[in-house]
Amino acid sequence: MQALLPRFRAAHTQVLGVSVDSVYCHGNWARDLGGISFPLLADFHPKGEVARAYGLYLDGAGITDRATVLIDAAGVVRHAESVTPAGQRDIAALAAECERLDREYSGPVEDFSEPAGLPEDGLLYVKSNCGFSRAALLARDNLRLSERIAVRNVSEDTAAREALVRAGGSEQAPCLVIGGETIQESADIVARLVGMIAPV
Amino acid sequence: MIEAGKKAPGFSLKDQFQREISLSQFKGRRHVLLLFYPLDYTPT
Repeated sequence: MQALLPRFRAAHTQVLGVSVDSVYCHGNWARDLGGISFPLLADFHPKGEVARAYGLYLDGAGITDRATVLIDAAGVVRHAESVTPAGQRDIAALAAECERLDREYSGPVEDFSEPAGLPEDGLLYVKSNCGFSRAALLARDNLRLSERIAVRNVSEDTAAREALVRAGGSEQAPCLVIGGETIQESADIVARLVGMIAPV
Repeated sequence: MIEAGKKAPGFSLKDQFQREISLSQFKGRRHVLLLFYPLDYTPT
């Protein structure tokens, strides 16, 4: 899926994954797959509400069907298909379907702009056993930035702690240092990274 | 399962980056491909 994203983008199509898992679970799963930068939505509270609205919630099993719905820019469903929970999607065929819709669609659409990217390589200070640090690390990995953003753990490394205090003015971690800027809240770090790499 | 030709039900959900993503934000801008899947740790 991730590999074919450029085709979907060229066809003016935003890809969104949906399941009944929590946001936290999504982050870990996406990382284990090697990083997923398109949005994975948590249909979690109340569980399966969106899947129900699309007629795709399997009440007996308490899960969502493995199904694909293509919606045009006017908000009309153009294609809906289930491959059953055990089945497998044909992503290339879906890309072709989106390209066909895009050719036939006569209403207004917007091009995807090229993401800004990182201004330069960055440095992420984290702490051990810290949920906020984990959230920042997950975002870095899902955006496939492990080569561009080095990590230093201030709980294990005195020199890193001293460097953090010099950069950030305090021992607060996580802390991202990039492009001459110091960003300290995990929500701000994640928002900044995703804005540079995978804006929606 | 919803049928082609029907209006897509709206939604607003959080993603793995804690962003609130709604269907309405793409209206008049982009087509949307929704990939529903049973559980995490299964193929996309």
